[in-house]
Amino acid sequence: MSRPADAETDVMLAGPQPVVEGKGLVKRWGRTLALDGASFSLTKGITGLLGSNGAGKTTLLGLMLGLHRPEDGSLHVLGRDPTSAGPEVRARVGYSPEHHELPRDTSAHDFVRHMAELHGVPHRAATSRSSDALWQVGLGEERFRPLGTMSTGQRQRVKLAQAIAHDPSLVLLDEPTDGLDPVQREDMLNLIRRVGSEFGIDIVLSSHLLEEVERVCDAAVILSSGRVVAFGSIAELTGVGHGVLVEVDRDASAVADALRQRGAHVVIDGERLIVELEGAEDPDRVYDLVRDALVVSGAGLRRLTDRTIRLEDVFLEVGA
Amino acid sequence: MSDGNDARILDRGYRPYDGPRTGTSGAVRSLLTYSMRRAVGLRRPLSAKVLPTISVFIAYVPAIVFVGITVLFEDVLISEPDILPTYSDYYGFITAAIVVFTAFVAPELLCGDRRDRMLGLYLASPLTRDSYLGAKAIAVMVVLGLVTVGPVLFLLLARSIAGTGPDGPAEVIELLWKIILAGFVIAALQTGLSLAVASTTTRRAAASAAIILILIGSAAVSGTLLDTSDAPEGVFLLNLFVLPFELVRRIYGDVLVTDEVTDLSTNVLIVGYVGWTVLFAGIAWVRYRRIEVTR
Repeated sequence: MSRPADAETDVMLAGPQPVVEGKGLVKRWGRTLALDGASFSLTKGITGLLGSNGAGKTTLLGLMLGLHRPEDGSLHVLGRDPTSAGPEVRARVGYSPEHHELPRDTSAHDFVRHMAELHGVPHRAATSRSSDALWQVGLGEERFRPLGTMSTGQRQRVKLAQAIAHDPSLVLLDEPTDGLDPVQREDMLNLIRRVGSEFGIDIVLSSHLLEEVERVCDAAVILSSGRVVAFGSIAELTGVGHGVLVEVDRDASAVADALRQRGAHVVIDGERLIVELEGAEDPDRVYDLVRDALVVSGAGLRRLTDRTIRLEDVFLEVGA
Repeated sequence: MSDGNDARILDRGYRPYDGPRTGTSGAVRSLLTYSMRRAVGLRRPLSAKVLPTISVFIAYVPAIVFVGITVLFEDVLISEPDILPTYSDYYGFITAAIVVFTAFVAPELLCGDRRDRMLGLYLASPLTRDSYLGAKAIAVMVVLGLVTVGPVLFLLLARSIAGTGPDGPAEVIELLWKIILAGFVIAALQTGLSLAVASTTTRRAAASAAIILILIGSAAVSGTLLDTSDAPEGVFLLNLFVLPFELVRRIYGDVLVTDEVTDLSTNVLIVGYVGWTVLFAGIAWVRYRRIEVTR
């Protein structure tokens, strides 16, 4: 179940050693408040950074990279403050930006090698790791092609390759499936999952696509208007929720009234009802109530199932 | 049974890297070499090689011709050694190549990074804005050295081999020092100007045109004011086109056959020169402090 977070409340995802930890982060762009006291603590694994456009995701990534200075609050990435130790932090962090613009006349191999060298890998090792990284993302045969001749999907893979070529401890991915068709998106998500699990690199994945975060992430932080409004492991945020979903053929409001009279909490959505019974010792008691309410109202039952919460429900519930 | 020749690597696997890391200095070196390669068109398509190749070629052609004359007409030169231009005169032959190269190099190195949004990726590495700009400035200066130092150095080398160069190691070292200093003086101001202009736009062509216009325009304004009004002699300092070349002439200590370009003292020229260079570098620095990269 989702846990709405107070802006002043630390968000503990799991584990004792945070990869990234922010407390009360405030950042303004002119009059726009991009981050409004965001607090969180991310540990190992793949963490989704969710939020609609303008929620503060990219600003937060910029702060993690030490590109901006927060007006208030503190931030530690891999145990160091990126504002004061930016180069040291960035040497251990890989970053894949949202945009797809890359030098058109440079080959993928040269580009990835250059990015690895920039992160401190000596030339010879960078050459070898560039090839390896491009093989890992499925561009081994294409690695000497100019970036300008590559499709959006291939460029997304190149961006991922340059982010992992220097073997970072943490990778920040900003909308990594943007512009991809469903098949390419599937491949990219599998790749990200592989980087996070097989390669042992921690990942922060910024996205506004709930489904992909739900699929590949171990945990998620939901941002809204610069505040952390929900957090938790994906298992905590989603999965089997409380109550049941009831779909009737008519007169849903009468069924709802009958349920409420019996102490149930009911939300009506068309002909569907979400029924919760808080504090009941017997979890099956809610089914009895539904049976009784249907008898009283005379409505026919189309579907009765345990309620499943998806990230989308959490997202909507916290108003993100 | 297989003899092993059919063996293939099916999965290269992911290898963690636990070797040495070069830190910020390695990042600066990488950006420096990558930028210099790009500026001269190495590992790039043919179209990217054309302009730098032509510019460098133009800069070296006079030197090649003079060396040819030296070799072919050695007897004449012994009796009349002044028919060949001096080292400081040589810059007059390659001014156009220097200006074109200047107008091309910095926009190529700076505008492209912002247009391709590579700046965000660079600043997500150990580079900072200052180290990024510093590496780019050094790259521009070194590449400009191809036309401000290289041809004169080639001339010195060729004349020394032909036996018409300076006498003795002391003179060679003195001339070598002057050549490097002169090349630096030209390249530093041009680098500052071109970085300042290139920091204001992502359009390379516009930046190149603006650099040429500023250089020629400043010469026109300065010249007109000095010729047609009672403007003080200091107006010469507005002439960004000639100012570094006048300093170069004084570095070599050459005496002009015609009238002096300006009566201003060398110290005043140096102050003006340094002032312009610092101003242009400051403009580029301020611009890069303000550029948002990942917002």
